[in-house]
Amino acid sequence: MRGDGATESVGRRIVVDGRPIEFVEGDSVAIAIIRSGEVPGRGGALCLAGDCGDCLATVDGLAYVRTCQTLARPGMSIERHPAEGKPRLPTADLADITSAPLGQEIPVRRASVDVVVAGMGRSGAADGNVERDAGRSVVFLDARAGEEVVAIYPGPAVIVREPRRMVHLEADRVIVATGSAEIQPVCPGSELAGIVTASAAEHLVGAGVDLGRAVRIRTHPIRFEGDATGRITGVVIAGEGGSEVRLPCDTAIVDLGRAPRDVLARMSRDEAVRVVGSAADDHPLPPAPTGGVVCPCMGTTVDDLATAWDKGYTELELLKRASWAGLGPCQGGACLPHVRAFIAARTGIVPEPFTARPAARQITLAEAAADTTIDAFRRTPLHDEHLALGARMDRFGGWFRPWHYGDVVGEYWAVRQGVSIGDVSTLGKLIVSGPDVVEALERIYPCHVADIKVGRSRYALLLNERGHLMDDGMILRDAETRFTLTFTSGGAANAEMWIRDWVDTWGLRVHVMDRTVSLAAINVTGPFAKELLARLGLVDPPRFLGHMRVDIAGVPCHVMRLSFTGEAAFELHHPVDRSVELWRALLERGHDLGIRAHGLQALFGLRLEKGHVIVGMDTELDTTPRRLGMDWAVRMEKPAFIGRQSLERTAKLEDDRRWFGYAMDGEAPPEGSPIRVPGGDGEIVGNVTGSWTSPLLGKALILGWQRRRPFLDRVEIDGREASVTPTPFYDPEGLRARA
Amino acid sequence: MPALEPVRGLRVVATADALDGARWIGEIVLLRLAPDEALAIDATAVVIDDPDAIVEPETGFSAAVLEPPELGRVADHVEWPLPTATNALGQGKVAGVPARILMSAVPVLVVQTAYADELERRLGWR
Repeated sequence: MRGDGATESVGRRIVVDGRPIEFVEGDSVAIAIIRSGEVPGRGGALCLAGDCGDCLATVDGLAYVRTCQTLARPGMSIERHPAEGKPRLPTADLADITSAPLGQEIPVRRASVDVVVAGMGRSGAADGNVERDAGRSVVFLDARAGEEVVAIYPGPAVIVREPRRMVHLEADRVIVATGSAEIQPVCPGSELAGIVTASAAEHLVGAGVDLGRAVRIRTHPIRFEGDATGRITGVVIAGEGGSEVRLPCDTAIVDLGRAPRDVLARMSRDEAVRVVGSAADDHPLPPAPTGGVVCPCMGTTVDDLATAWDKGYTELELLKRASWAGLGPCQGGACLPHVRAFIAARTGIVPEPFTARPAARQITLAEAAADTTIDAFRRTPLHDEHLALGARMDRFGGWFRPWHYGDVVGEYWAVRQGVSIGDVSTLGKLIVSGPDVVEALERIYPCHVADIKVGRSRYALLLNERGHLMDDGMILRDAETRFTLTFTSGGAANAEMWIRDWVDTWGLRVHVMDRTVSLAAINVTGPFAKELLARLGLVDPPRFLGHMRVDIAGVPCHVMRLSFTGEAAFELHHPVDRSVELWRALLERGHDLGIRAHGLQALFGLRLEKGHVIVGMDTELDTTPRRLGMDWAVRMEKPAFIGRQSLERTAKLEDDRRWFGYAMDGEAPPEGSPIRVPGGDGEIVGNVTGSWTSPLLGKALILGWQRRRPFLDRVEIDGREASVTPTPFYDPEGLRARA
Repeated sequence: MPALEPVRGLRVVATADALDGARWIGEIVLLRLAPDEALAIDATAVVIDDPDAIVEPETGFSAAVLEPPELGRVADHVEWPLPTATNALGQGKVAGVPARILMSAVPVLVVQTAYADELERRLGWR
């Protein structure tokens, strides 16, 4: 096939596989390539209507582009996909993948309409106009005008690709009027170049492309024959009396009937999606294929179908998965009628078409991700203060948090020997109140609640029904029927839902208010913490596990006396709009005490010396208090609490998991390191969940799991021997925290 | 360019009936966050018939007024249908950030201050 078009194409060139070819204004890329005597893809019957996958190529670096639907433009670079394997895809510099965005940012337009009509043929226009005449808002989408519907999701929601943006439409109803597609030939040689459908032939002739010696066939051929270059030389069809008739040709025009263009229709079973016109018609199936390639996209042959069938994959969906027929870019647009005919010939029943899934057209990752964003991370009111102190910020538990301020060991010593402040605004904070609040908390927590006095607090685990640890925190009693509850930063949202859900389930009269983002919190910790707070107005601080409300540096604070660091510690919970003021006052008045801020890295080391668990870091989804060695936090004498029944049952069973502390010489091994049997075959018995080279104790401290009995006293970590060591490693009597 | 500015007010959790009958002190913008929860921007006090109500001063939210052209631009980052009724409150993600839009005479975008910086960046406001 070749056309001259020389006068119109002057100066208009595209580059195909490195070779410039001229095109005529209005040519699609596929037609321009055909006009040059080549084929746009790897051969096969071309429909030039966007239905088959035979014209896919890489256009300007973008793979899997339907060149029949792409207007040729000067300078365009086309790389045809290889006959075997996948096209070359762009590569990224993995060493610095965050340095710059890859690809182009695609904007999204969103709209809500009454009716979306996909397809602008007669049926679509007619049905859409009826809706519009009835006063409903209607959006017509025409793929020929560059409005490609790539997905219909339940809702229904319609996703449309336009040349420079994506459109997301929420609709009450969707009318699919995508018409019909021409049936592709399936027989030996159907992969040859020079085969076109009847409509494609009309299209080419209309574009002035010379088809050479063309034959038109209206019956399914026995085979196509070609030369060594892969071009067609003839078609063999059935003659009278079982004979074969060979028709020599340069181009075979196949006119084999039509099938629904139903990828979108097969994508949604939503009742609000209606298929009309040819897309809904019951077109006759082609005869069952007997040889050749059935699915040009995946290269599935009739023999492949038969092999899968013989193995028992006799349902259409199973046959699809076993043979890969229909899994390619056109999602059965070409092969589905033949696969259905294959099954119907063997069972006598025509199967329903298989499901199609987004995207109906190949879209780029940028288009798929248009206006989607990574999870938003919150900033505490002290964010800029941390930056001003040189903090390296990291994402942790849904927040930006200071990982360190450039001197982890210095931050550590400030806590152990002086005074330090840490931003703990990220902790979950709930207020619960109501006449049934004690009853609710007694049922929720495994510790006693009713005996917590006003002004006192208690550490508590939060368990699920299976007795597995969900979170931990403090219960602080503010009044007879009012408490403040704290949770971990990462677990706060889940804990809040958990409590609300149970209160609602039980029908208890309890109000719940989440104060996590309303209150900031600064942890003042270290031997000089009391001295510092006294300078700022807190002369008579609460004793250990006490709490009180008092102004500090003029800022109203809820002061909680507890300790995660192992030193005296006071959490100052206060309104977020006063946080910077309080932070600066603490730094200023603590200057001569050597105050400095500490980040998470130092905090994790400090807590590790105390053996404190961090839920989510140290725990697994099925971690029980017993496995953590925290049975003391569970009061089984209570008649009922969430998880009690499970704990009672599992307490009778031997457990082969335990979380231990370990110590060894040298630097701390990386977190996540395997814990192995020492000196043996290296069998892995657990893993490290936390590690820290203790500046105070001069050795590596480790927390980690053993998942095998008998539990070992000595293990191997990072190629070195480590000893199981009781926790806390530091100040086991807890005297410093209570000081 | 709009900007999210911190707002002050009261946040109240109480029975739905008590909230329905609450008497707010001040010229307020009321966001009914849930049947049992309200955020009253600029409120200085409230009279409410629920002895166990939780009433707390609130400074943890920021808000921006959305003039009509900006509302359209923000709507392009909203995957849920904006409410159309006057004073209806839409709640969901805006550009992937949990937020609320109050459809008052001039719509107001409300977000936790902890998310304000992130949302402004995503909306191209900074």
